[in-house]
Amino acid sequence: MARGLKLSGQAIALVLVAGLLGLLVWKLTHQSHPPKIGGPAPVFSLKRIDGAGAVDLASLRGKPVVLNFWASWCVPCKSEAAALEAAYRRYKSQGVVFLGIDYHDVTGDARTFLSRHGVTYTTLQDGSGMVGDRYGLTGVPETYFVDRQGRLVGFHIAGPITDSKLAAEFKQGVEAALNS
Amino acid sequence: MIVRLAAALVAALALAAPAAGCTHPRTSLAYLEGQIMCPTCHTTLDQSESPAALRIEAEISKRIAQCWTADQIKAELVRNFGAGILAAPPRKGFDLLAWWLPIAGVILGAGLLAFGVWRWSRGRDGPEPPPGEGSGLDPESERRLDEALARFE
Repeated sequence: MARGLKLSGQAIALVLVAGLLGLLVWKLTHQSHPPKIGGPAPVFSLKRIDGAGAVDLASLRGKPVVLNFWASWCVPCKSEAAALEAAYRRYKSQGVVFLGIDYHDVTGDARTFLSRHGVTYTTLQDGSGMVGDRYGLTGVPETYFVDRQGRLVGFHIAGPITDSKLAAEFKQGVEAALNS
Repeated sequence: MIVRLAAALVAALALAAPAAGCTHPRTSLAYLEGQIMCPTCHTTLDQSESPAALRIEAEISKRIAQCWTADQIKAELVRNFGAGILAAPPRKGFDLLAWWLPIAGVILGAGLLAFGVWRWSRGRDGPEPPPGEGSGLDPESERRLDEALARFE
């Protein structure tokens, strides 16, 4: 009887330890690492803020894509909004797709922001921040470039593209997405 | 002129009605901000001054002014930000596990501890071994030990 109880206790302890070990392994293997330039762009499907439906990044394979993470509460995002819209107008005839990804934001505020700053390119909602986290965001605004093969190219720009150094990187990033 | 005045009066009443009173007790920002997380800083709203937290507080205040209930406001925030915006998981469905598992763990732990203490105390109360038994020495060693002790007496 006592031996049976002891064995049961040991089995329960073993199961608990194995469970905790499993959780640890799961956590370690599912940690999000920022994607590397040259590697595949993490795919996603997000709802549009500026209209109905959703956009799937995988469906844009074959087109160069500019991904800009932003939020209406982010002050530098306001400063770069006009420059991004101007870049979109300049490059859209060459087939470059611009996607704004609204990160951790109130949807109503985001719509007000888009209308106030005259943003016309597609904007998606990442309210939970899941996609931003997959891209390893450290804040907003941040910009990535995806080439026709779905790889990240050029630079990972952390900051507003109105900054002179970042503006040059932005231009090179779009060119890299277009030409690779 | 009279028609315009009447229209303005109707519009003013329509706007003032929600602000004047709700059909249910009005919730408050103070009540909700401890239950909602700031998505960028991972603390509750009442502990955060981040721009995202301030915007969410403004949104909550707007909804409170429109007589939304706390549950309606939380549901709207979950639609916008996902379930992670809530400081505590909902008490329904699969999320109930998050409430019950810690309680079950504490009860199980207390049960195991009580059982261990009971077993330990039973072991201590057991009969003493008879003299000469259980010393771990063979008879020859025991005889020599007795002789050595006798020399000291």
